[in-house]
Amino acid sequence: MLYEMSKILVTGPKKVQENVIKELHELKILHIVEHSKNELADIGQPIETAGKLSEIMVKVRALINSLGIKKSEANYQIIDVLGIERKANLINEAVNKSNEELRRIEELKSKHLEILNELNLLAGINLPLEAFEPYNSLAIFTGYMHDLNDVSYLKGSLSKETGKFEMLADDKKIFIALFVDIGKKEYAANILQKADFMQVNLSNLGSNMLDRSGSASESIKRIELQMRKLDYSRERSINRLEKLADENKNFLLAAEEFLSNELEKAEAPLRFAATKNAFLIKGWVPTEQLNSAIENLNNAGKNKIFICSEHAKLDDKVPIKLKNEKYSKPFEFFINMYSLPTYREIDPTFFMFLTYPIFFGFMLGDFGYGIMSFALFYFLKKKIPKGAALFNVLLLSSAASIFFGLIYGEFFGLEELGNFHIPSLISRSHGIFELMYISVGIGIIHVNWGLAAGFANVLKVHGVKRAIFEKASWFVLEVGILLMVLSYMGIIAISSLIGWIFFAAAVGMLYKGEGIRGIIEIPTLLTNTLSYLRLMAIGLSSVSISVVVNEMAEGFFHEGGVLIFAGILVLLIGHVLNMILGLFGSFLHSLRLHYVEFFSKFFEGGAEKYKPFGAKEGL
Amino acid sequence: MALESAGLIAISSALAVGISAVAAAIAEKEIGSAAIGAMAEKEELFGKCLILTVIPETIVIFGLVVAILILNLAK
Repeated sequence: MLYEMSKILVTGPKKVQENVIKELHELKILHIVEHSKNELADIGQPIETAGKLSEIMVKVRALINSLGIKKSEANYQIIDVLGIERKANLINEAVNKSNEELRRIEELKSKHLEILNELNLLAGINLPLEAFEPYNSLAIFTGYMHDLNDVSYLKGSLSKETGKFEMLADDKKIFIALFVDIGKKEYAANILQKADFMQVNLSNLGSNMLDRSGSASESIKRIELQMRKLDYSRERSINRLEKLADENKNFLLAAEEFLSNELEKAEAPLRFAATKNAFLIKGWVPTEQLNSAIENLNNAGKNKIFICSEHAKLDDKVPIKLKNEKYSKPFEFFINMYSLPTYREIDPTFFMFLTYPIFFGFMLGDFGYGIMSFALFYFLKKKIPKGAALFNVLLLSSAASIFFGLIYGEFFGLEELGNFHIPSLISRSHGIFELMYISVGIGIIHVNWGLAAGFANVLKVHGVKRAIFEKASWFVLEVGILLMVLSYMGIIAISSLIGWIFFAAAVGMLYKGEGIRGIIEIPTLLTNTLSYLRLMAIGLSSVSISVVVNEMAEGFFHEGGVLIFAGILVLLIGHVLNMILGLFGSFLHSLRLHYVEFFSKFFEGGAEKYKPFGAKEGL
Repeated sequence: MALESAGLIAISSALAVGISAVAAAIAEKEIGSAAIGAMAEKEELFGKCLILTVIPETIVIFGLVVAILILNLAK
């Protein structure tokens, strides 16, 4: 079912516009139809405060982001916009200060890390750090050699040319420092190149952050101490930010909500039609709330506004609000996921409430699995209140599984408990063909149900003639096929010609009703009906797996001893996996039978959702 | 002889369900990736995409039914 909707027009002088908007925002019942600019009227101007509001809003949202605050219920009393701005600025300053400090610390840390890397290179060379400062008469080379042989080769070739050099090496890393007379710099560079020397520039050693007295390892200790200090102050900054977030969480979230409400109100005129001195709001209101809405608006508009309303016309694009009793309401979830019915269409929610759990139970039908999944979804529903609708559907479906489990006489795939044979109406592992016939029977009923609903839909919108040609023709087709089959099988004593006549008539009607598309769709009647065989097939696969699991476990139990534990493990893993598979399969296939086979017979959908002005998403 | 024909029946029913499963998988692969692409652009399409993706599944069901019918020959 759908809520009956009325179109409403509100017009009045701009003087009372703000009052009217405020009232509408509180009423939360008007679905605004956005005006697009035409020669008669432009769209309205936002209220002056909008600019300021969005400016503060950006600030508040930036703070929420940078402080990493998660959305939750805020409990804080907002007084006015100016108060928000003042407080937000204060928080912003504190946050910026801490962030700036954090940035500075990170920078220092990375500098220190660079220095530390270079010091580590020199750690194995026994020289004070001052020795690496630039000289006028000496050139310094530092870097890696390939292997130790190259080091001695280097020494040899250098001493041939000059005695004025000193080379120190760290044998472990083959890192060398070579001091050579400045006059022989190029010669030394040449030889170094030949010896596969890889130069490393120690550019950070000149930094003023480094105390160069003593050896490299002493400096390393000092730098590491510095790093620890930096880590400590970094921690402190982060703590300060966390404390800021904690203290101002409620304020910021409440401010964000307050501002987004105010901004929505301030920008509402952009959706209205407006002239120089007047405004016009078009929208939809549920008919049952129409009278109280008109009264409230007139009060708010100080009786200076004019309101007129009318019922939805045939070609209106009416926003849809589904109306269902408490028991079938959870199934609206599936309709929302598919597409909302248009105003003249039948809302299939109630149909799904009737058949979805049955299909689900038919496939998963096992007393044990049903109980387990019921417990699981009950637990999940308590744990995740947001998904309550879906879990309610699944709870109902699990109950259906338990019911069908009793019909099939199955308990975790077992048909016998000890020596007790569980009584059953039909056994899934033996009565495959019976189940097949039942499945197809369900298919025929369901598809015809869909066609009948389609007949009602077309009748309502396009009249009886099109309804007969488009939808009733399918029934004629079925009668034709039935007569043909019966007469060919010799069950009834009439000529098969009569069946053919019905068939031909149906084809003709379909061609007139839906054109060539109708003819092409004739075979889908067969495929759609046979598609319901999945009701049997999914169940069968689940039974087979659980029987295999049980037999495997039984084998282990017969062996006895430690293997009993293995048997228990097989039972646990096997049945949990099979249950997950079964739940997924039954959920999706039951859904698919509705979406594809059932809905295609009558349901088009595509309507816009009813979104009242001022209501938050999800209400 | 009887054993041989039983083996052939088993093989042919396995082929019936196996090949149709592969066919459905290939079809669903193509549709599924396109559907994910469409949903990335427009999330509301989930319902429609789900339907399109599961349409080829019917092929396997038919395969399974044929397999069961073939197996029945062995009895």
